[in-house]
Amino acid sequence: MPTLSPERWQQISPYLDEVLGLQEPQRTTWLESFRLEKPELARLLEELLNEHSALDRNHFLEGSPVQKAFHSSLVGQNIGAYTLISPIGEGGMGSVWLAERSDGRFERRVAVKFLRLSVAAHGGAERFKREGMILGQLAQAHIAELIDAGVSPNGEPYLVLEHVEGEHIDEYCDQRRLSLDARIRLFLDVAGAVAQAHANLIVHRDLKPSNVLVRNDGEVKLLDFGIAKLLAEDATSTGASVLTQQSGGALTPQFAAPEQITGGVISTAIDVYALGVLLYLLLTGKHPTGSGHNSTAELVKAIVETEAPRASECVMAAEGSAIAEQRGTTAEKLRQDLRGDLDTILRKTLKKNPAERYTSVTALADDLRRYLKQEPISARPDSFSYRTAKFLRRNRLAVGLTAVALLAMVVGITGIVMQARSVRQQRDIAIRERDRANRITEFMIKMFNVSDPSEARGNTVTVREILDKTSHEIDSGLEKDAGTQAQMMSVMGNVYYHLGLFPQGEKLQTRALDIRRRVLGPEHPDTLSSMTDVGKSLSAQGRKEEARKILGDALSMDHRVLGNEHPETLRCMDSFAYVLSREDRIAEAGDLYRQTIELRRRVLGPEHPDTLATMGNLAWVLDVQHRYDEAEKLQREALEAELRVAGADDVNTTISENMLARILSLEHKYPEAEKIQRQALESQRRVLGVENTYTMRSLNNLADILYNVGRYPESEALFVEIRDVQRRTLGPDNPATAVSTYSIGSLEALQGHSTQALSRVREAIDHGLATSAVLAIDKDDDLKSLHGDPQFEALVVYARKHAGSRQKAN
Amino acid sequence: MEGHLASAPSISSLISAAEQGDRAAGQTLFEMLYSELHRLAKRELARRGIPVSLGATTLLHQAYIEMAGKERTSFPDQARFMGYAARVMRGLIIDHARSRRAEKRGGRFEITSLGTEVDSPADARELTRIGEALDELSKADPLLSEVVDLKFFCGFTFAEIAAMKGISERTAQRQWEKARIYLHRKIRADLEV
Repeated sequence: MPTLSPERWQQISPYLDEVLGLQEPQRTTWLESFRLEKPELARLLEELLNEHSALDRNHFLEGSPVQKAFHSSLVGQNIGAYTLISPIGEGGMGSVWLAERSDGRFERRVAVKFLRLSVAAHGGAERFKREGMILGQLAQAHIAELIDAGVSPNGEPYLVLEHVEGEHIDEYCDQRRLSLDARIRLFLDVAGAVAQAHANLIVHRDLKPSNVLVRNDGEVKLLDFGIAKLLAEDATSTGASVLTQQSGGALTPQFAAPEQITGGVISTAIDVYALGVLLYLLLTGKHPTGSGHNSTAELVKAIVETEAPRASECVMAAEGSAIAEQRGTTAEKLRQDLRGDLDTILRKTLKKNPAERYTSVTALADDLRRYLKQEPISARPDSFSYRTAKFLRRNRLAVGLTAVALLAMVVGITGIVMQARSVRQQRDIAIRERDRANRITEFMIKMFNVSDPSEARGNTVTVREILDKTSHEIDSGLEKDAGTQAQMMSVMGNVYYHLGLFPQGEKLQTRALDIRRRVLGPEHPDTLSSMTDVGKSLSAQGRKEEARKILGDALSMDHRVLGNEHPETLRCMDSFAYVLSREDRIAEAGDLYRQTIELRRRVLGPEHPDTLATMGNLAWVLDVQHRYDEAEKLQREALEAELRVAGADDVNTTISENMLARILSLEHKYPEAEKIQRQALESQRRVLGVENTYTMRSLNNLADILYNVGRYPESEALFVEIRDVQRRTLGPDNPATAVSTYSIGSLEALQGHSTQALSRVREAIDHGLATSAVLAIDKDDDLKSLHGDPQFEALVVYARKHAGSRQKAN
Repeated sequence: MEGHLASAPSISSLISAAEQGDRAAGQTLFEMLYSELHRLAKRELARRGIPVSLGATTLLHQAYIEMAGKERTSFPDQARFMGYAARVMRGLIIDHARSRRAEKRGGRFEITSLGTEVDSPADARELTRIGEALDELSKADPLLSEVVDLKFFCGFTFAEIAAMKGISERTAQRQWEKARIYLHRKIRADLEV
């Protein structure tokens, strides 16, 4: 096959573009005429097209070189009560799988959304929990339902969501040629769902057609609350909800509001804007800021600066009649329908200045409903002729209703005033019960100490619920007793922190800090402690600069006010060193950790959990610096103390042992690595059971150490044990089980047992071994003893055939 | 500390120089990005100490955030950055696949780099061939090879690529399809020789 020269490529490229953009039968027609025009190029083009179809069928270059094995190992795996069927999607955050109930109790299919572990380590877990939590709050017909949540055996957090089979809302409308009114009615369902989210102080932030699906039965479903934001209620303003601006949200520029791009305040107004873009698109088939921006920069400029053309004007262009046809009307009629009220509503929704937009999604929806009922809309400055024109069209009897609505409004306002009064009374009672509140504080500290998420994952949701409820009560009940209020906030902020809900923790800690500064003064020990809390929450969210600033301030004040050896000063040092290590100031971080360890040893004692924690932190720094011998020494020391203090069966002790064994293996110190790994394994088996992830990991590590030192029979015995567990937990045809079977086979080969080796390898091939591994068996050095054996050669041929037929089947 | 940073060329200035045709700057840029991505990948794995697959997309986003954070002013926008970083990611993945010995046992703790799941020498050879064909393609049609780097090696979706390149999703897909044809022809031609 001749390769294409650059010149040839330039020549054919535009035609290829054109023809790939066509669907059958247009493609055939186009090719026929092209054949007459340029017969020689047409021949090449057809050849390339055939190649394209073949590549499509073979999935050439699909999938990813990175994630391949991850996928194949998940098919058929059980996640909670569900069995994974096939991957649906893959994004920066993780993967989404189609799944069904394992027990066959319902036929219902669900979507299981996994969070990638690497994201989990970076505040992604928080975002993910937030989606689960948000969905838990939002039981609404038009929002995809959250069915379950949990953590997989591999430790990845997942959500089980209602699986929505449907089309993107814009495609749904176009394919069914829905009229303007039908589109608006469908849009009102979307608006209703968003309004409910807003009522729960949640902003979606990523509204776009691909997140709004319409099922075959016409039901709208709103998806993907992954970047939704909980609004912090601003206590000082009159109920207006704002949120401190936080960057890093993955937004979709085409649907982003100007303030999302320029870094303004994020409020419900951005969803109003995004809904405006969506409505504009549904009604006109075009994007309000136009298309054909050559770069993101141009698009951004358009969003921030360019006023959208009137909807009625944008169907003037040549394709106006095609757009009208999709709406079951003519271009002229469509323009007429858009002109006037719909133009006005869209214009108000898409205002660059959030304050000029509709004050709420409900207000927008109300205006659309008025439009559908041909009532006067609110979005227009009152002009006499407009009002009268509308009135004439309406039923006269309805006019009386206005007075009733006005009365209802007055009653509503009175209700709010009365409520406020009773809140004040409640507050007085709360202050009298201050002592009780103190007891609550103590109780909570105890309660949450046992709810570390790693131990009690199932409880997390409950704990959150209690927390959310309680933090709300602090706001309403305890305002006059500022000291207690700050204390509660600080405690709860710390609990949120330990649950990994850093933004919520930070919010409460910041408020505690503000109150303490005001009431106790800026240098009070409690104020200083709050500063460190806030710093820790900031650095946990990756907001390193802010964290470094506040921790730096806190540290210098700690030194001055509390002295160099105060436990609080030391806590602040540890946190400051953490920020430095995350800012890649590794050497400085190491020095500061060393100082902290020395002081903590002296002040708290060498075996205090805080002292040991800092030692673990320093070992991590040393590991990063490849200073394994020092890392080893330190990890060893920490482990010895843990053994003395917490005992050999403490989970943290065994994890430290795993860490130490890892460092030792990196240093090729296998005998000791083996010894320590065995210790960990022994107590994990006893305490956690053999099917536990940590236990399985230890078994694997030990098998690997033994393989590395050539103790094949022992290594093999461990793999046999691993495989037996995997057969039970993952099933006999799981690729991970097959890998263990294969390992057994290669260890047999290394011992010269060719018959057993051949049958194990064959077994692995027949039971799910990854195709890439199947194809590489003749290149595996561990199987070298089999080379030349005709049975092995036959197996290689068999493997190729097997892989080939599997690829075909796919 | 600050002094050290100032003496090294900034990513921003290297990108500008490379865009004006400075080949040495382009090479330095590649090396800096390469070592940065490699460092990040290793750090991620060291931090967790367990074998997990580390998504290329995640890694790139993180690299962007960290590097932009360091240089702050005038750092190129994410789309422009990804254009360069995606090519580097390709190099990293291929090198990794080449260096990694045939791995059979799951869950071993000797993690040397990305933790990617390229698990046989056959894959490594295939990836190398794809890499070479992409180098050819980048001469004939640089945008196409960039789309392949972003899609295949970095795992971005068509929607994300479209947003980055300021093109429609459909165009992104078409470019991907074209690139695939080119690459396949090139690889087959190489194999026939």
